[in-house]
Amino acid sequence: MKALEFENQLAKNIYDNYIKRISKTITILSNEDKKEILMEFNSHIYEGLQNTNRKTELESVLKITQDLGNPEEVLKPLIADKKLKQATRTFNPKHIIQAILLNIKNGVVYSVFAGLYLCLFVFGILLLLKIIYPNEAGLFYDDQGFAVLGLYGSSENTTDILGDWFIPMALFSSVALYIIITLLLKTTRKKKA
Amino acid sequence: MSDIIIHDTNSEFVYKWQSQVKKGTLAFILLNVLKTNEFYGYELMEQVKKITDIEIAEGTLYPLMNRLKKEGLVKSKWVEQESGIPRKYYKLTNMGTEALIEMVIYWQNLQLSIKKVTR
Repeated sequence: MKALEFENQLAKNIYDNYIKRISKTITILSNEDKKEILMEFNSHIYEGLQNTNRKTELESVLKITQDLGNPEEVLKPLIADKKLKQATRTFNPKHIIQAILLNIKNGVVYSVFAGLYLCLFVFGILLLLKIIYPNEAGLFYDDQGFAVLGLYGSSENTTDILGDWFIPMALFSSVALYIIITLLLKTTRKKKA
Repeated sequence: MSDIIIHDTNSEFVYKWQSQVKKGTLAFILLNVLKTNEFYGYELMEQVKKITDIEIAEGTLYPLMNRLKKEGLVKSKWVEQESGIPRKYYKLTNMGTEALIEMVIYWQNLQLSIKKVTR
């Protein structure tokens, strides 16, 4: 993005500060999206300065940035949209968490997804527990036919169905579930649009 | 005293309603403006301001254009300028033109209903 030039230092400060606020608001987006948004707002400010009826640069830049509004507020829906697109394209858990949190107000469906990922996370924890406590964690059933997935005190009556196989099985199911949930999220995003 | 309170509540309600209507119709207005010509962001906002007394933060234009683009109703392209500050032009797609025709019909029907109900 080519920065605009100002003669008045105060006008330049206001412009720099406004651009900085945009940058700060959109830090979580991909570099490509960041560049696009900054260039578009920069262009808006530039065109505004060319078409102004204000007497001074300072008055003009103040009016333009005021009319544009607070970047933190104005850009909210754009960030939620773009983040979700990035999350479902990259399958990156960090992006997915951010995208769900940003979109949670945009529909009950995103709360459902938050729940699904949370279940998956708990499943992941169980996997770790199996490594730490091989005898207590896993998939069990007892002599009454009662099955438990989780932590269960092993005794003579209980059988650990998978044994050490629990680790690769759980790992495989977690990855598969992660992919399925994320693909569902992708479909939801497209449908919502 | 109570009159004043009632009046205040009403005006607040009306104000909120107006802002909802404005927000809700902005996409329709933008698509109409783009019907005959392609415009870059600032210019597009100027056109909108010329035809309506919309009082929204102008920055909201960009998230909205992004949404319209995502839905395939508009497309955009960057055009280099001598100033070194390129402009992003927006244009209606065929899908956008079709959507606009449907929206206009809906709007006309709505207008008729409102006319009947407010008579």
